[in-house]
Formats: sequence, structure tokens, C-alpha cells
Amino acid sequence: MFGWLGRSAARGILTTRYPDAPPTPSEAPVSAHAPEPRPAVPISPNAVAGCPVRAIAPDGVDQGRCIRCARCLAQGFEFSGPVALATAKRPDRPEGPGAILGGAAPLARLGRSIHVFLVDVGSCNACNLEVLSIAHPQYDASRLGIFFTNSPRHADVLLVVGVPTEAMVEPLRRAYDAIPAPKAVVATGACAIRGGVFEGTPGLRSGVDEIVPVDLYVPGCPPPPVAVLDALLRLIGRERTEAPT
Amino acid sequence: MTRAGWEVEAGDDGPVEDGKRALAYRADDGALALYNDYDRGRSILRTPKIPGTWSVRTAPAPGAHPLAAAAEVAGYGTFTFPYGPISAGVPEAGKFEVRTYGERVLGLVPVGGFKTRSVATSVLGLPVADAGLRVERMAGNLSASHVSAFLAAAESAEGRPVPTAELYVRALAQELQRLYNHVRQIARVAEAAAQNVGLAQVHALGEEILRLQGSVFGHRWMFGALLPGGPARRVDAADRDRLEHALGGIGAEFDVLWSLLLESRTFVDRLQSTAPLSKESAIASGAVGPTLRASGVGWDDRLRAPTPPYTDLFVSLPNETAGDALARILVRGAEIQASLVILEQLFDRWPTEESITEPAESPVGPGRGIARVEAPNGDLVYDVTVADGRVRRLQFRSPSAANWPAFAASMQDAVFTDFHFAFESFGLVFAETDG
Amino acid sequence: MSAPYLGILLTAAVVGLFASAPAAVLARRIGYGIALASSLLLLAVAIATLATGPVHGIAWTGPLGDPESLQLDGLSAFFALAASLVWTATSAYSIFYDDRRSPGLAVCYGLTLGAIALLVSASSFLLFLIGWEIMTLASYGMILQATGRGDRIFSAAFVFLAFGEASTLLVLIAVAAFHVLSGGFLEGPVSGAGALTSLVFVAALLGFGLKMGVAPFHLSEWLPIAHSSAPSNASAVLSSTLTLAGAYGLFRVVSDLGSPPAWWGGLMLAIGAISVLLGALFASVSEHTKGLPAYSTIENNGLILVALGVALLAEANGLTELAVFALFAAFFQAIAHAVAKTALFLSAGYVEHATGTFDLSAVAGGAKRSDPGETEGTLVAALSLAAAPPLAGFVSEWMILESLFQSYRFSSPEAQFLGLLAGAAVALAAGLIVVAMVKFVGFALLWKPSPGATAPRAAGLGTTVGAVGGILVGLGVGAPWILKGVAPGVAAFAHAAVTAPVSGLLAVPDGWSIVSGSPFGILSPPVVPIAIGLASVVAWGYFRLGGGRRTRTVEPWMAGSAPGRPGETYTSFGYSTGIRIMLRSILRTREVRASVGPVTEAGLATPVPYNVDLEVLDVFKLFYDDLVAATAAVSDAFKVAIMPGRLGRYLAYILLVTLAVVVYVAVAA
Repeated sequence: MFGWLGRSAARGILTTRYPDAPPTPSEAPVSAHAPEPRPAVPISPNAVAGCPVRAIAPDGVDQGRCIRCARCLAQGFEFSGPVALATAKRPDRPEGPGAILGGAAPLARLGRSIHVFLVDVGSCNACNLEVLSIAHPQYDASRLGIFFTNSPRHADVLLVVGVPTEAMVEPLRRAYDAIPAPKAVVATGACAIRGGVFEGTPGLRSGVDEIVPVDLYVPGCPPPPVAVLDALLRLIGRERTEAPT
Repeated sequence: MTRAGWEVEAGDDGPVEDGKRALAYRADDGALALYNDYDRGRSILRTPKIPGTWSVRTAPAPGAHPLAAAAEVAGYGTFTFPYGPISAGVPEAGKFEVRTYGERVLGLVPVGGFKTRSVATSVLGLPVADAGLRVERMAGNLSASHVSAFLAAAESAEGRPVPTAELYVRALAQELQRLYNHVRQIARVAEAAAQNVGLAQVHALGEEILRLQGSVFGHRWMFGALLPGGPARRVDAADRDRLEHALGGIGAEFDVLWSLLLESRTFVDRLQSTAPLSKESAIASGAVGPTLRASGVGWDDRLRAPTPPYTDLFVSLPNETAGDALARILVRGAEIQASLVILEQLFDRWPTEESITEPAESPVGPGRGIARVEAPNGDLVYDVTVADGRVRRLQFRSPSAANWPAFAASMQDAVFTDFHFAFESFGLVFAETDG
Repeated sequence: MSAPYLGILLTAAVVGLFASAPAAVLARRIGYGIALASSLLLLAVAIATLATGPVHGIAWTGPLGDPESLQLDGLSAFFALAASLVWTATSAYSIFYDDRRSPGLAVCYGLTLGAIALLVSASSFLLFLIGWEIMTLASYGMILQATGRGDRIFSAAFVFLAFGEASTLLVLIAVAAFHVLSGGFLEGPVSGAGALTSLVFVAALLGFGLKMGVAPFHLSEWLPIAHSSAPSNASAVLSSTLTLAGAYGLFRVVSDLGSPPAWWGGLMLAIGAISVLLGALFASVSEHTKGLPAYSTIENNGLILVALGVALLAEANGLTELAVFALFAAFFQAIAHAVAKTALFLSAGYVEHATGTFDLSAVAGGAKRSDPGETEGTLVAALSLAAAPPLAGFVSEWMILESLFQSYRFSSPEAQFLGLLAGAAVALAAGLIVVAMVKFVGFALLWKPSPGATAPRAAGLGTTVGAVGGILVGLGVGAPWILKGVAPGVAAFAHAAVTAPVSGLLAVPDGWSIVSGSPFGILSPPVVPIAIGLASVVAWGYFRLGGGRRTRTVEPWMAGSAPGRPGETYTSFGYSTGIRIMLRSILRTREVRASVGPVTEAGLATPVPYNVDLEVLDVFKLFYDDLVAATAAVSDAFKVAIMPGRLGRYLAYILLVTLAVVVYVAVAA
């Protein structure tokens, strides 16, 4: 036991200062940022045609579809957008770079603490692991009053990852029903928003909001832990207000 | 038919001796069968005309379906305890049907198919590079292994030359991911044993590996980092220096945490003799990877069916014989240390920039390729047919698919509370099983 | 008031006899109706006796010239009260229940009740013995009316009779020794301690203990009930009042014996504590809707012995206050258990009526039931047996634990240590019995009916059970006032005027609280429900008047699976398998597996189907089985060696005996 104590003391504080400080490059590597056209560079037809998930349209980028594959970097784009992109509306066409369509925080009256129930409806595990890692020492969600729970009966937030398969439609509905009100649903990752790279595959639903009402969409493939933290804080109105640059 | 660089003994359609050889792969159409001869350390490739009695599913079936067979159990007070598909403690969609009279597991049937995204069929007709985007998202925590195997099979099918440096990048990605997965598996077991301080420390190590991957490949899960034929990202000397330095720190930290964990009596006692798997049943159930190695069978694709750069490296083979949860975790811990040695060798032998050749513009031609990779949880096989640069047929056998029957067998007569220790010691992933 | 009640009870038996004629149902119902009326009359007499002192009974001179009478005193009036409460419920229940049984049941039922009434009101041990023996034989008759496999019924009834006669034999020894001590059979205190007094005590403890089903004789309690599935009204009478008769006999004899040596109390405490633990343990793993309450009876009778043991130890140590408190605890435990257990057996009969099974794991998913009162009554009774406030069982359990906590006052370290061990056993059993009761309620009552199934309504059965539940609430809440009523019984035991340990403290009105020992614990049974009621009103008002709160009904969470699919629900057996596995050294748990179906191919791909049974054993049953085998073997050897059927040898025996007599006479002369 003393060995562990010594180890903890020797390592010091690992925890991020987010949301008091903007995310550091190690917390948010390049692909954690939203892709945007380089300043003064129009969106080229090549970029539109080359996007494997049809996220790029001539008039803007559908961040909910983007899987951060980096193909468009050769076509005049750069990963320079914000890390925290959570929106209350499906982010089909955000108004512009860095736009955050914040709705009223749906769980504001729960005050300072929420319990999160994670449901996987067909993910590749990357989203699951990114979401779970907010409980690890580097992010330590419990300091922000965010806890995971293993029962929907104790939950305030239904955090859904993955593209919904037919087999998971009923279980997801059951989980939603089992959560007492007030509750919020967070669709996390491109798959949960629009199906991601699997959009259009037979037997899969295009997004969680076809099954249960979604309060917040968190783009990314997968969204990094700071983006997940941002989304959860947004539910109780405690998110970092200054847009990270 | 081409295969990516390992020796096999081609055979005809003869009977396979029970207990000596286990099926590693069988294509659904019966056109191809791959056996491992553990006694002689060789693989056998066959084209059987009669379907074998071994049943390892290659193409995941749609809808919920059992992943292993269990005995029918009747008796007073027995019932089926359904656990899942949203199971507390298993952070994936998957179900377990436990046959029990309370407390004791009389039979356990893992049920998959809740995450079937039909990767193997939905990539048909796509260019290899686009298909790779889906293959790496089959199982995010095993993306490097899957995409490496897929690309190797596709490249050998097309006859596309691959620069040596790219092979080194792929090996680097695989070994980093092996580190991450093993570290995470150890943390999960520590969590089951309520070693809370230890689990936080080990998880912190896992996050450091993810950050390292993010800083080198631009993406924390290395999605989009590996492309057919050519490097999407060059790992330059500065990157390698940074990696070497960071990995040194991670290795030193892991050694300390590992010895602290193994000093904890509660941790070791809880794992010892939990969910045992004998050598015989490991072979008979077709187990692969650390599961197989923990039961006393020394098979590792990096040694027995190596592809470059592993052909040039010293790979040690951690081996245990007890076959219990502790043995599986000990194998993982030792493999972390072995992987760090492999990574050092990679950096030492890294090909100079001049030797990188640009990829050939046009691939040679259509064909079928088969590739094997030692993923963190075992032997991963891809069988890919490519024509006109597009995927025409794709089959794979994931290590998880092979290990489910072994897991079910090891849970026989365990008690409910053994579940998490057993499950996490196997490192099973529903995502790659369902595909 | 003269006492014609006995005559009426006997009349019930006679009417029962006529009930064996054709067109019996109506006659049987009349018989049970008369039994109901008699029970109510006995209840009235008992209450009158407790309130105003002994009422006039019947008196005559017996064949041996002894004065005989049938009359209640404080002690017997208390037991008559408890028994008549039970009988009122069972008789009312029987009117609706016993329409499918053979007529003999009504006869034996009436006889059993009459016999117990006789032995309780007997003034001499001779009359007592007559009642005792009629009770044993009539109960044997009731068990023979059981439904089920003939050989099992017969063997179970035989076990009952064998234990019953062994009990009679021991009681007979006690009575004979008592006669030597006192020179008569009249109940009443005798003085002096010595080997003979101890013989009376030990024989009485074993004899009456046999009837109470305490360890190691607990087979006499559970085996006839569980193995033969005795009719439910009979089960209630057997488990609630037959054991009560045993307790009464023990109380009566011990109260007559004067100042007890310390080891009497110690012995009683030890037997009681072991029974409490074994009873609770076996109840928690029982799978039989009647076996489970029967095991619980063993636990509760053990508790009576524990309390009585503490009282005797305290008396031997000169701790009069503690002795009196423990006696009150024993009395209250007796009545709390008798009433609660009645509800459980009647409920088991109801469940059988609705589902046709006694098997807890098979009950769930049976037919739907709709009678009011049944669920509520059973729930209250089970909660009382699990010692939940504010019910009667809680008050008695609290009083017994409070008595045990005060065992530090004993002078000898052995007695202190024994008190400590007994306290641990009682506390452990209190936990185990909660498991048992949750199991009974959860699987015999709260299960989900299978879709569309409806049971034949059993009018009146549910109402009876509900009424018993009401009595339990009344006993629990009114405990301080009941204790005042118990005081004459305690006084008759202690041969001194006693006051109930009731007072007012901590702003609770005088007479509303029970106090254990002068500076010790305090409990106010009425305040508990008042507090619960107030809190409920506040909560109800908050949600009712707070406005706008909707109730949303959702299905249970089963990890995303559809809940409650057939074959996917926890069985009653599974609920207690944890105990079976953890306590396997006591329960001798073993698993029996047998392959069923063809062995197609070895290996994991096609596993062989098998059947599995997890069995537990009562080691005492093993002991008795061995005893029976040994007796049979010895008898056989005796037969072969001494009585081989040769005329010559028998003539030699006769010659030897004649010679011996001649020699004896010659020497004596």
C-alpha cells in the first residue's frame, strides 16, 4: 500500500486544467480539431469529391459526418477548428467555423453533479474508450461532478456511442425508458450522429436520433476526452465559455 | 493465391489429428483451411472438400447468435440468467446467457451480433484505401492490427510493392497498440479486483500511450495513418527520438506498477486458479494469442509466421502453463516488456530515408491474398480478393472469434463473481467478432 | 362463569365424526363452525381469567382419589389465549378450505383442539397426560389425511408418531418423578433441589423439547409437515399450537420446580441457541412452501427456550428483574410466533389452492390470484417473523436480544460466555431468517402470474389470512398493554406478584414503553408506527400537493434484455444457493450430475447435456438414519443369538428363570 502511495506522490498531479484552461496539444492532437478550409481558400470540387463520407459540400463542412481521415488536408483544408463542437442541433451544416449552437443546458437544475450511463449500440470501441477515459487520472471527471453509473436507474445522462444496429434498437429504447426524468441523451461520435463511415449500410440506422430524442451531438471520430467533458459540462451549464482557439 | 511472406506446408484434404492441430482459419466456402501444427510449429494450408467438424465462424452472421456452444443443463432450480446486451462492467454491446442454479456457472453462452456493422460485405466494391477506413473502424482499439493485416493481404493480392519503412511504421503502430491493449487489460483486471489506486495508475499509463500515438500519427487511435502501398505519415528521426524517450519512461513506469501489482496478495490470489483453461482444451477450442500462450502452447505469428520486419527482429515468447486468469495476465505483462524490446529494435534498424521508394502508380493485377498478424489478443487472418484496385471479396477471422469458445469453457463451474476477472483476462472484443 | 367450553370443543369432534356420513361437506362445515365458536369462547374465558383472575371451572374427584379440575390459571390462561387466537383463524379458514379432503380430517382436527384445551386447563398432570396422548394420536390422524404419495405420507406420519410417543415416554418419566417428589399429581410448586428434581427437569426439557421440535429433535417438526404436505389447516395447528402445548408443558413443570440450579438455564440456553441457528439456516435453504415455515418454527421455539434459559440463569444468579423481563420475552415470543406462523401456513394452503404446488421454485408463474387480504396478511406475518417493526415479532426479538445483552450480569464467566454465544447465534439467525422470509414472500406471493391464468377464487381464505395479519399489527403496536395482560402468567410462573416492564420515558407517555432492566434499553412500540405514519403523511402530502408529479411505469431493467421471459427469471432455489455454497460444511452441500442424452462427440464443440442437482443434507437426519440402521442391526443380532427359534433353548431360559426366582425367594426368606 505504501508502494502505491509513494508512486502516486512521485508522479504528481497528472490531471488537466481543462475547462479552466484550453486543451493542450497533447490532450487534443491535430485530428481532434475540426477540419476547416484554409483562410481565403475556397472549397474545391476535388475536396468535395475526395471526401469518403461526403462531409464536405461546396458551402461548408458537415462536422457530424466528418471522420477526421485527413484526406482533405491535401485539398486546402487544415485541422484548425475547435475541439469542443457539441451542439444541440444535428450539426448538418454549422453556420461557420467554430460555431457552437448551444441550447439551454437541459440538466441545469441538477446543479453540480450528473451520473452518466454509457450505452454502446454498435461502436468500434474507440468512442467507448475515449468516453471512459474521462474518468482516468489525466481528466478525472469526478472533480467536475461527473460520474459513471452501471444502472440507468441511477443515471441522468444517456451517453450513446456507435451506429445503431437493429439488434440494439430495443435495448436502447429500454435504457432510455429506464432513466428517470430529468434526463438528457448525448449522441457521441460520428457513428451515433449520422452513422459515420458506416452511413448507408443496410441493417444500420442513421443516427441515434432515429430511436430516442437527442439533446446533444458530439462530433468526432472518436471525439477526444476533452470534447466529451465539454459536452457533459454543457448539459449542466458549466462548459468552458471562451471558444478554444 | 499469394500469401504475405510466411512458410506453410501445403497439404491435401486429409484428416486432421485431434489435439495436435487446431484450425486457425476456414473460409466460409470451404475453399481454404489453415491449420496450426503446434508440435512442429508450422501452419498447414489446405483446400478441404469435406467441411470439417471444427466450427470457427469467419463471416459474422447478422442478428444475435451464440458465439460458443454450451451443454444443455437441466435440474431443480436451474434457470438462464441473461446478462446484456447493455451489461454493466462490459463496456461493449454483447450478451451472456448464464445457465445456473444460482451463484455457480453451469454453462455460459456468449451471444454476439449486437454490433454487426457488416464491414466484410459493405467494403465490397470500394477502393482499397476507402475500405481501409472501415476496416480500421471495425475495432478501434485493434485498428493497427486489422488494417495492417487487411493491407498486407490486399497488397499481396495486387502484387503491390510496399516500402520497407512503411512496414516499420505498421509494426510500430501494432506494437504501440499492443502496449495500450495489454495495459488496459491489466487495468481492467485491477478494477475487477478493486485495486483502485493501481488501476488509476495503470489507466494513466494507457492514456500516455494514446497521447503518444496522437502526437506521432496525428490521431489518438491511428485512424487513417496506414494506407495501401505508401506511408500516409512519415515517422521521421525527431518522431523516433521522441518515441524512444517517451517509451523509456513508460517502460520504467510500467515495471514499477507491475511489480507493485504482483506484490498485492489480494490481486494475485483473486486471479490464481480463476477460469482455468488446460492446454488440451485451449487447443481443442481453437484458442489463439495470449490465451493459448498462457495455457502452455508457444505460438505467436511474429515468430511462427513472421512477416517483415519481424523476420529480422528478436522476438521473445512469454509463456505460462497454468492457464488461469493470472497466467493470462502474466503473459500480457511480459509481452508489454517484450514489445518495448521490439520497439527498441525497430528504432535501431529503422530504414534510412533514402531507401523509401515511392509506391507504384498502378497495381500489378487482380488476385487473392492472405495475411496474418499477431494482434494483441491473438492470431488475426485476412483473406482479400482485389480486382481493379477495388475489394471484391473479404473474409477475416478475428482472434476474439477464435477465443470465445475457450472463454466459455473456462467459465464452466466458476461462480458469478469470477466473471469479470475471467472476461478481462481473455481480452475479448465484441466489435471485431461481430465485424 | 362455568366452563362449558371444553364440552363444546368435544362436541365439535363428535360432529366431525358424523361428518364421515354421506353429504359430509355441510356436516364438516358445521363441525368447523362449532370449533370456531368454541375457540372464541375459550378466547373469552382466557381473557377474562387474565383480566380478573381465575374463573370457576369443573371439579371432581379422580379415580385415585385425587381432586381433579378443569380450570385456567394465569399461566394456562395465557397459553389458552394464544392457542384460541390461532384456532379462531384456522377454524374459520377450514370452513372454506376443507372441501376436498376426506372427512377424517375434521374429526382429528376437532379432537386435537379439544385435547390441547384439555391439557391446558388440566389441574393435574394425570389429566394433562391424557390430553397429551389424545393430542398426539389425533394429530397423527390429521397427518395421515395428507395429499401426496402414500408411502411418504405413511413414513412421515410414522416419524411423527414415533417422536410423539418418545415425547410421551419422557413426559411420563418426568411426571412419575414429580409424583415421587410431591406425593401427588396436582400441579403446583414443590420445594427442594436434588437429583430427583433435576431428573424431572431434564426429562421434561427433552420430552417437551421433542414436541417443540428443538434441536436435535427438529425432525419431528419439519419432516411430517414438509414430507407429507399435511393439510394446511392441520399444518397451522401442528406448527403453531402443538409446539405451543410443548412450551406450555415446559413452562408448567419448570414453574413447579422451585429455585433452579444455574446449569438448568445453561442447558436450556444452549439447546435453544442451537435450534435457533439450525432452524433459521434450514429455513433459508428450504424449497417447500410449508417446510420453510416449519423450519422457522424450530427457530422460534428455540427463541422461547433461549428466553426461558436466560430467565432461569438470572434467577439462579439472583437477578430477579432480568429473570422477570426474560420471562415476559418468552411469553411474548410464544404468542407472536403462534399467530404469525398460522398466517404463513394458511397462506401456503392458499398458494397450493391457487397453483397446486408446494414447490417454491415452481410457484412463480402459476395462476393469478385475486383475493383481498391474503397478500397483505402474509406479508405482515413474514415481516413479523423477520422481526420488522412495529410488528409482534420485532418486539419479542428485541426483548430476547435485550435479555441476552444483559448476560454480562451473570456471576460465572461460563454463563456470561454462554450468553455471548447465544446472542451471536440469535443475531446470526435473525439475519438468515430475513433471507427465508424474503424468499417466502418473494416467491410465494409477489410473483408475476402467467398470462391469462386465473385461479378458482377461494372465498374467505384470503380474508382469514388478512385478519391474522391485523392481529399481528395489533399485538406489535399494543405490546406494552399486552405485556400487562401477560403479567398474571408470569406471576403464576414466578409465584410472586410481578409488574410488566412498562413505563414512560423520554417524553413517551407512561405505559407506552417497554423497559429492559432498570438502566438498560427502552422501546416504545406504539411510537414506531406513529412515526412511520407521520412520515408517510408528510411524503404523501408533499407529492400530492406539490403538484404536477407524474407517475411513469416502466419495465424492470434487465441489462437491456426483455424482462421476465420464461426460464430467464431467478428461481427461489437460486436465491439461496449462495448460502448453500458458503455454508457447505454445515449443510453438506453436494452436487450430483448425470449426463442425459447421447454422447455424440467428446470435446467442446458439442457438449454433452446433463442434469444437475445441488443437494443439502440435515446431518441430524443422517444421525437418525444411522440410529435406525444400528437398532435394526442390533435387534437382528439379538434375534439370531438369543432367540433362534429352538425349543430347547427356550426351555433352558424358563428353567434358568425359575431357578433364579427360587434362589431369590429362598435368600430373601
